[in-house]
Amino acid sequence: MIKRTLASSLLFVLALAPLAAAQSADPNKEELKLKLPKPMFIGTPTNIKSANLEPITGKPRPPFFVPKGTVLLSLKKAVTASDSAPVIGELDMITDGEKSGGDGYFVEFGPSTQWVQVDLGAPHPLSAILLWHYHSQARVYHDVVVQVSDDAAFKSGVTTVYNNDHDNSSKLGVGKDKEYIEVAEGRLIDPKGAKGRYVRFYSNGNTTNDLNHYVEIEVYGLPK
Amino acid sequence: MTGVRVGAVVALALAAGLWLRLARLDARPMHHDEANQAVKFGTLLETGEYRYDAHDHHGPTLYYLSLPAAWIRGQRTLASLDESTLRGVTVVFGTLTLLLIPCLTTRIGATAVAASALLMAVSPVMVFYSRMYIQESLFACFTLAFAIAVGCAMRSNGWSACVLAGVAGGLAVATKETSVIMLPSALAAAALAWWSLGSRRWPLSLGGRDSRVAVLAGLAAAVFIAGLFYSSFFTNPSAILEPFRGARTYVDRGIEPVSHGHPWYYYLTLLTYVASGGLRWSEGLVVLLALVGGWMAWLPPDPGDVERTFWGRYLSAYTALAAVAFSLIPYKTPWNILPFYAGAIVVAGIGLSRLIDVRRRALAVVVTAVFLGATVQLAWQARRAAVTYAADPRNPYVYAQTVPDAVRMAARIRELAAIHPDGLRMQVSVVASPYEQWPLPWYLRTMPNVGYWVGTGDPLELRSAVVVSSVDNMPALDAALGERYVTTIFGLRPEVFLTLYVERDLWERFLARTPAAAPGTP
Repeated sequence: MIKRTLASSLLFVLALAPLAAAQSADPNKEELKLKLPKPMFIGTPTNIKSANLEPITGKPRPPFFVPKGTVLLSLKKAVTASDSAPVIGELDMITDGEKSGGDGYFVEFGPSTQWVQVDLGAPHPLSAILLWHYHSQARVYHDVVVQVSDDAAFKSGVTTVYNNDHDNSSKLGVGKDKEYIEVAEGRLIDPKGAKGRYVRFYSNGNTTNDLNHYVEIEVYGLPK
Repeated sequence: MTGVRVGAVVALALAAGLWLRLARLDARPMHHDEANQAVKFGTLLETGEYRYDAHDHHGPTLYYLSLPAAWIRGQRTLASLDESTLRGVTVVFGTLTLLLIPCLTTRIGATAVAASALLMAVSPVMVFYSRMYIQESLFACFTLAFAIAVGCAMRSNGWSACVLAGVAGGLAVATKETSVIMLPSALAAAALAWWSLGSRRWPLSLGGRDSRVAVLAGLAAAVFIAGLFYSSFFTNPSAILEPFRGARTYVDRGIEPVSHGHPWYYYLTLLTYVASGGLRWSEGLVVLLALVGGWMAWLPPDPGDVERTFWGRYLSAYTALAAVAFSLIPYKTPWNILPFYAGAIVVAGIGLSRLIDVRRRALAVVVTAVFLGATVQLAWQARRAAVTYAADPRNPYVYAQTVPDAVRMAARIRELAAIHPDGLRMQVSVVASPYEQWPLPWYLRTMPNVGYWVGTGDPLELRSAVVVSSVDNMPALDAALGERYVTTIFGLRPEVFLTLYVERDLWERFLARTPAAAPGTP
């Protein structure tokens, strides 16, 4: 059993290696350096395997490469939300740079589909998006949808860069991305260069309660 | 405080208590213990049959006393029952507990009664578990009634108080096995309080014929009531002995718990201060006032007020003995607080009345103002516990609670059934350990073809269009069902997950019911 696990892990690494090498070999790209918070719980349930759930490897995320010159665009930027008066916390905590999973570092919104929106101040080509809902407990947030637009109302010019609402319960379209268990390293989303001024994040409760939470959002991109 | 004023405060407490207890009774998903009780009650409702289980489920009063509620609402089957009917029963007994307090007006004083009634109405723990379809709110009501009746019997030597004590004691015995803690605690505390009065104690004529008759009448009432319920109204007389057979189970579970083991200070911590995930909870006001009430009751007695001294000492000793006993037993669940906490609330009322009785008027005004402010804050906490965070693990009274996600999964199964050719008769397989199956039998009660398996291997379970699986059964089901099924993860309890397998064809038809993709969807 152990041998089989080791063999699978080796195959997995070998399979990813050329991909990573190809990315790192691109002279126009560099590794995205991230400052991650301390894990708040040990023992992510690695035995959960489902076609619509991101496989849990228990290993750190592989390096992610972004265009050279990529910077953190969202720090201290204005945040609006479907509920301007969160149950717990203040909206500005979502872009304050503090990613700790402890009490006092997250914003809590009510039940059902809720969204928060970061105004980057100007349109930017985006290189990476990092998202921490709540990482003190193993839980899955439902219907995570991330969209980019130049329209603050998200009525036109909307690009969906992530959607794991595979049953379309949030009525934003059927998503093909996978659900995932919240961990301290957050969810890394590749926006594939999508350009926009506003980034909107949806969620619809989680496997522990009906509520929606955000510890931190980081949007990386090129300065212009 | 005049009688009219006490009546007004009790009426206010009653209104507040009902408002908190009745608000959105379906806000919290059914706990697996509630679901289990509900299905057992459903059998009684549909077939008229009940058999005491010496190893689980506690006593029968909850089920029999739920019958009138179902009849009043015109519900005759398990499928027709709802949360309001079931939880309404426990709300009634939570409210009756409050209404017992005015019986003490001449014994502990009007101020103490008014304060106790207010605290009973708004106490978060009392409100929360009054809304839960388990035995506790009934048990707290019967044990407090027993304690009051025993105190009255001690004072009056009258047979009516003895019979009332017997009826209440019998109901308590027919409700929960922990009556072996509560009832002796009351008797021991009454004897201790009486003895502590020294030269001021009144003579107890236990040797007298009238007193013997009264005590025997009380015992007969207790045996009759307990026997009535355990024997299913004497249709199954041998069941009267079943609680004795089950005693070993409960003793073993209490002393060497396989689960639910907690340190001795668990209940104290739960009541005094809990902070989690940005939320803070405390019933410290009640605990503090109960300590004041208990301490002042045991100070040298006022020669002119033996009655109040006796009741203060009696109720504080009763509460303390029961609280210590429950705390020393390793097996603990948070709802076990209720029976002794009901006593603590009355003692807290006594504590406040003693503080207000202090000669300095200004201090009394300040104490009253602080008390009223804290009572409002307790009511706010109670509302938050009962409705806003009814199923949130940050709520200290939430314990192994079903999460809303499980209700969503059950709703999804019913939605799928609606588009399946068999409708609600669609076959569903649940493949999980019993702990991970509940409360699904409640939520899928309208579907007659739901099968339950603890593991894989039976080909029949793979014939369902919808399969629910626990995490440990997923590898085998993945191998057996493969790409023919679509899976979705749902929570059952915090960090306990279930997977819903849906036949791909059924899933595609389900998706076809939902609107087309929104703008920007790739």
